[in-house]
Amino acid sequence: MEPPNPASLAALLEPGGRFDPRAKLVAYLFGFAWVLLATQLAALALLNAAALAGVALARAGRPWRRALRLLWPTLLMFALIVGFSEGPAAAAGAVMRLSALVAISALFFAATPPEELGESLLASGLSPQAVFLLEGTLRFAPTMALIVREVKEAQESRGIRLDGLYLLRNGVALLAPLLADVMRFADDLAEALEARGFGGPRRTPLGDYRFKWRDWALVAGMAAATAALIAWSPVYATFSTQG
Amino acid sequence: MIVCQNLRYRYPAAGDAILQELNFAVAEGEFALLAGASGSGKSTLCRLLNGLIPHLHGGEASGVLTVAGNDPRATPPYRMCGAVGLLLQRPDAQCLATTVARDIAFGPAAQGQDRATIARRVRETAEWLDIVHLLARAPHTLSGGEQQRVALAGVLAMRPRLLVLDEPFAFLDAAGAAQLRGLLRRLHETGVTLMVAEHRIEQIADIADRVLVLDRGRLVADGPPGPILSGDVAAWGLDDGMDGPRPAPPRPAVTAAESIVEWDEVHCERDGHPVLQGVRLKIGSGETVALLGANGAGKSTLLRHGNGLLRAQRGAVRVLGQAIGRRPVAELARTVGLVMQHPARMLFAPTVRAELAAGPRALQRYDPVWCARLSERFGLDGLLDRPPQLLSAGEQRRVAIAAVLAGRPQALLLDEPTAGQDARARAALRALLAECAREGLAIAVATHNLAWARALCPRWAVLCEGRIAADGPPSEVLARPDVLHRARLAAPRAEGA
Repeated sequence: MEPPNPASLAALLEPGGRFDPRAKLVAYLFGFAWVLLATQLAALALLNAAALAGVALARAGRPWRRALRLLWPTLLMFALIVGFSEGPAAAAGAVMRLSALVAISALFFAATPPEELGESLLASGLSPQAVFLLEGTLRFAPTMALIVREVKEAQESRGIRLDGLYLLRNGVALLAPLLADVMRFADDLAEALEARGFGGPRRTPLGDYRFKWRDWALVAGMAAATAALIAWSPVYATFSTQG
Repeated sequence: MIVCQNLRYRYPAAGDAILQELNFAVAEGEFALLAGASGSGKSTLCRLLNGLIPHLHGGEASGVLTVAGNDPRATPPYRMCGAVGLLLQRPDAQCLATTVARDIAFGPAAQGQDRATIARRVRETAEWLDIVHLLARAPHTLSGGEQQRVALAGVLAMRPRLLVLDEPFAFLDAAGAAQLRGLLRRLHETGVTLMVAEHRIEQIADIADRVLVLDRGRLVADGPPGPILSGDVAAWGLDDGMDGPRPAPPRPAVTAAESIVEWDEVHCERDGHPVLQGVRLKIGSGETVALLGANGAGKSTLLRHGNGLLRAQRGAVRVLGQAIGRRPVAELARTVGLVMQHPARMLFAPTVRAELAAGPRALQRYDPVWCARLSERFGLDGLLDRPPQLLSAGEQRRVAIAAVLAGRPQALLLDEPTAGQDARARAALRALLAECAREGLAIAVATHNLAWARALCPRWAVLCEGRIAADGPPSEVLARPDVLHRARLAAPRAEGA
């Protein structure tokens, strides 16, 4: 096996991407706010389209599809509940809002490795415990998804269906082993962290995190756009189906 | 390096101490094998050595314990980890970052090393463990064996003076195990003190300086491995009972008419890489086939095609002669049952009794008489009213297999059923599967444990580079060094599984 080239190793260890992770986080939170503030179907459709274009550009189609595959029963249930209580337009709005949130989340997480986000927040003075809580939640999402898939496969392999509406009837066959495994995983993870020195007073960040002009430009641009949207809210509300 | 005098430890809320009056010392540079059955206290002792116990788990520890000049009970684990590296059992929970390179860097970064040192250690450790090609990969996309090597790299990157490994061979293929043996030998030669807790004692008995045997929390033997392990070790759960019934003679080739599951030119590609490339294999009634191959060779993928969890991208899978097409997995479960690597991930019922009934009820073929028979055969009668999630790993494995068999499938596919099992559990499982095969069940078992496979399976199928490279009796396969080499297999060692 060829020894790793020092430059390529540095590229693997140091932060990549054009923007500072904190700038991306701020942009993501603004995007999240836009979706939550929008009450019109047309505005939500526009946001969905923009988020999906971003997903395509960032080549984040796979995590987005995976998230949708996991979430579609929830989306369906949510749509049914809202549909029965508020009508079909409200149900469509609720589903579009959730799908836009899934798309912008897929985009953000595909573009921002959890360690880089964590280290940049540490550099901003956040406590290591809070940072690791955030970092761990993001880092282990794929592992949790794998565990969910394994539990589903194990149950289906003995005849217990968990697809589609069977999930409502046999949900306990998914949830009980999942909860037990997640708790065991959390225990094992805590041990592994302690055994690898987590909690020590001097963690070396693997990169330098400084806001550059383009980070400021991104944050300022998103803030200005949000302010304009709020100020121009009559236009933002023109497409409203719900008033 | 380690001094232990009258050491006693009790977990919080536990009645009895799990470690009792331990007295031993390990000198700097020594290589100690820690042996014992499941529940004997090996993992507890490993956790005491770097302070995870009692700092993380609490409990009461009394007596004298000094490790690298510190009392781990009075020193926080983040300080101990500079001197004591601990590799735990579950590899997926030990990969702490989104890429392998960053994962290896985690420990040195937590120690406060400068970036140049961190980069150097990542490079050196990756070269040592031959995982340079994995540096850019996400740990959760790796096989269990690869994750194990990455987790070990993460520990070694902290350059500990004492390395404590808890079941490091559990997920490794033969080549990976040989590589780890070589690495342990090299570390030993460089003066690192080693303490390895392992069920597969044959893997390291010949390279360790001494063996410490724990039995129900007590140190029952301590000395050179040769004399101790050649004695009567069955009482300590170290004998795997390989002298049990020998496998039946190989059955004749299975015809299409009697095959239960058939993989016909099955192709599978993942992330642009071929995993299976035209695999052809049939298993018939009463056959027991060992599916062998390196970590990542595609054994689990092949099994998942067998019961429809994965669909052939080209080629076909036939069950009882019929192509499975798009038939749901739960429907195929009437004929083909699959038990995965982690049995706890399928156990959900409040009692073992309810667990055994869950599958057959879903398949609408619940037969209480059959379930009672299975319960008796699998030694579950005394456990029927207990929650399955609270059983030992060996018991959970037996419950999982019985729960799948309760649906009366004609074929049973098992993925790494011996991983992490002690010798008694492996021997018991082998006897149970042999009995099922005698009654006509078709069994395919993916395993790295060649000695166990040889004792159980009269037929071996070797998966290599996505194809079946050899298929026949073990003696024939073992006589083909080219296949063994390509498939990263090694002949089983005399000591057994």
